[in-house]
Amino acid sequence: MGDGTVARQKQLILVFSRVWAWVFLAGLIAFFATSVNIQSRGGVNFLTIRNSQNILMAIVPVLLMGLGQTFVVIAAGIDLSVGWVMGLSSVVSAMVIVALTDRGTYEPLAIVIGCLAGVVAAIIPGLINGVIIATLRIPSFIVTLGMSFIARGVAFLLSGGNVVGGQPQGVRDLGNEALLYLISGSHGGLYFLRPPAVTGEALRQLDRILQWPVVITFVLLLIMLFVLHKTQFGRHVYAIGGNREAALRAGIPVDRHIIVLYALSAATAGIAGVLSTARFSGGSSIAGDPLLLSSIAAVIIGGVSMFGGEGSVSGTLIGALIIAVMTTGLVMLNVQPFWQYIVVGIVVILAVLIDQARDLIIGRMEAG
Amino acid sequence: MKRWIADNSGPKEPMLPKRFLISLFTFVALLTTSLLAQAQFKKPKIGFLPGVVDPFYQVMEIGVNEAAADYGLEVVTQYPQTWGPTIQTPILDAMVGRGDLTYLIIAPTDKEQMIAPLQRAVDAGIKVITVDTFLGDGDYINGKVTFPLSYIGSDNVEGGKIAARALAKVVGNKGKVYIQNTNVGASTTEQRGKGFKDGIAEFKDMQLAGEDYNLDDAGTAAQQTAAKLQANPDLVGIFGVNVFSAQGAGNAVKSAGLGGKVQVIAFDATKDAIENLRQGVVSLVIAQKPHDMGYLAVAFAMADARGVTSLPRRVTTGYAVIDAKNVDDPSVSRFIYRVGK
Repeated sequence: MGDGTVARQKQLILVFSRVWAWVFLAGLIAFFATSVNIQSRGGVNFLTIRNSQNILMAIVPVLLMGLGQTFVVIAAGIDLSVGWVMGLSSVVSAMVIVALTDRGTYEPLAIVIGCLAGVVAAIIPGLINGVIIATLRIPSFIVTLGMSFIARGVAFLLSGGNVVGGQPQGVRDLGNEALLYLISGSHGGLYFLRPPAVTGEALRQLDRILQWPVVITFVLLLIMLFVLHKTQFGRHVYAIGGNREAALRAGIPVDRHIIVLYALSAATAGIAGVLSTARFSGGSSIAGDPLLLSSIAAVIIGGVSMFGGEGSVSGTLIGALIIAVMTTGLVMLNVQPFWQYIVVGIVVILAVLIDQARDLIIGRMEAG
Repeated sequence: MKRWIADNSGPKEPMLPKRFLISLFTFVALLTTSLLAQAQFKKPKIGFLPGVVDPFYQVMEIGVNEAAADYGLEVVTQYPQTWGPTIQTPILDAMVGRGDLTYLIIAPTDKEQMIAPLQRAVDAGIKVITVDTFLGDGDYINGKVTFPLSYIGSDNVEGGKIAARALAKVVGNKGKVYIQNTNVGASTTEQRGKGFKDGIAEFKDMQLAGEDYNLDDAGTAAQQTAAKLQANPDLVGIFGVNVFSAQGAGNAVKSAGLGGKVQVIAFDATKDAIENLRQGVVSLVIAQKPHDMGYLAVAFAMADARGVTSLPRRVTTGYAVIDAKNVDDPSVSRFIYRVGK
């Protein structure tokens, strides 16, 4: 075997380990597109605009929690507090918005302040996480686990366990309205920013395309992509995760970096909480907890190494998409969504296996 | 159709061409109208989306499926694995996204937060019937939410009162009692708690020692109850507001060796609750009628599709109270939540 073939094989393995999740996602969509159609004898179609938008809305909280988590895990940490931090942010934002609108504050201003308050309420536990992890060198697993209980308690104390309702219409619009509206059919049309006032059949055919939570999430996704892959800050995240000592010796302010990372992770969870308040027009402390493990699964499926130093933001997007496509597809096939857990579990383990096999094979090639 | 048949079986005179033509015309006309009527009536295709996996909703599903079989309808059933709008909404969206469902029978996991997602389903042309839990204040005629066709469920305030009075009777109208509740914000359990408090207030020698929320987890309920029992050795009774709450409370009382001394009133007649009743750990089980809710909801969908306009907007299905004496009486025991084998 010549050097050329070895290099080509190595290249092939590298490419496979990078694109398999995309291929898996494409396969999943193809599977649902055909099987849903066959099972319902053409009565139900998986590939619709409405479905695509449902899937995008479903990934919003998982992806947002996963985005910050991606940074933390690449830096060889983990943040288990994001679920309840999201709930805390949801409660705080809802309470602030209600308090302000009750006192007669201009509604859009009240909503902006409320959203900011929610994110700030999330960043505080994140900063505390970061400071303890960086300075006291307690494992992130333990610190953030503890913080998740604290955030949960605070959220329950603030809300009394209640859903914080009484939100103004603007809050519901933020969580449910969209950039584009499409009415399909003969009297259809495309509308920007404002929902057309229609009833009956037209209303039935009305699809909201790119709802605000989706737009906000994708703007954040692009920013995170840029920060992680194009800036010095991003390169340092990889450096810290790859080898903390080496990063220290290279003069990277590791402690400060770690504090920023946990604050960032809490901030994206906080945005998820604010958007949950908007979507459900109410602040709920339990909004995030059921999604925590899904968000971590999305990060792992996306190829972020739990040992640090490896991974990407786009991978996390794919991971979140795989989970959401599965939920929607299985409901449309009328299969119990519990199967989703089994499949996600297999995919998570598979993802790590593929990465390890890649390292092993390439290692052998280089050695042999 | 009937008239045509009657015409034929009429007087036996020779069939005149004219008369034949008239009957043929009548036949064709009637056939056309009946076909048109059939075209207008589209059999409902129903989505059933309970709040969470538990025996209560599983019995409701039996009712849904029985009615669907009786009417020859198709039902798409999906269970969320945990309680809450975050998990229920994506499933709801996917059910709406199917595009083939015309009616949705749902137990909304929050009376406020599920309004916007369900409004979306209504916009997409799906008629909504809420079972067990409701939206807004549950008044679909004059309340803040009026889009659902109907609410079919228990009057939970009344259920809480029934529980309080029954507990008072067992403990001799005096002593401290405690509530094991699930989540604030879930309309049904909140009201049971309220009804229970109202009921206890009717007895001057009874006090409420507190109320805890277990987030619908029997383990948490057991733990909270165990702590409460230690802090309040003089506790005489506990009200578990649903399946998991009563299960946890009952287990905590059992493992503290207080079976028979602390009376547990269990809401929801699961097999576990009945087993505890037989062992004397639970003194009274209040059974709801989830089977009725499921069956009626499908019947309502069918009636609405047929053009029935006088469906009640709110139906309360009532309770059966089960104690150690009547537990084997078939007229009562049929309300035990029996699922699977």
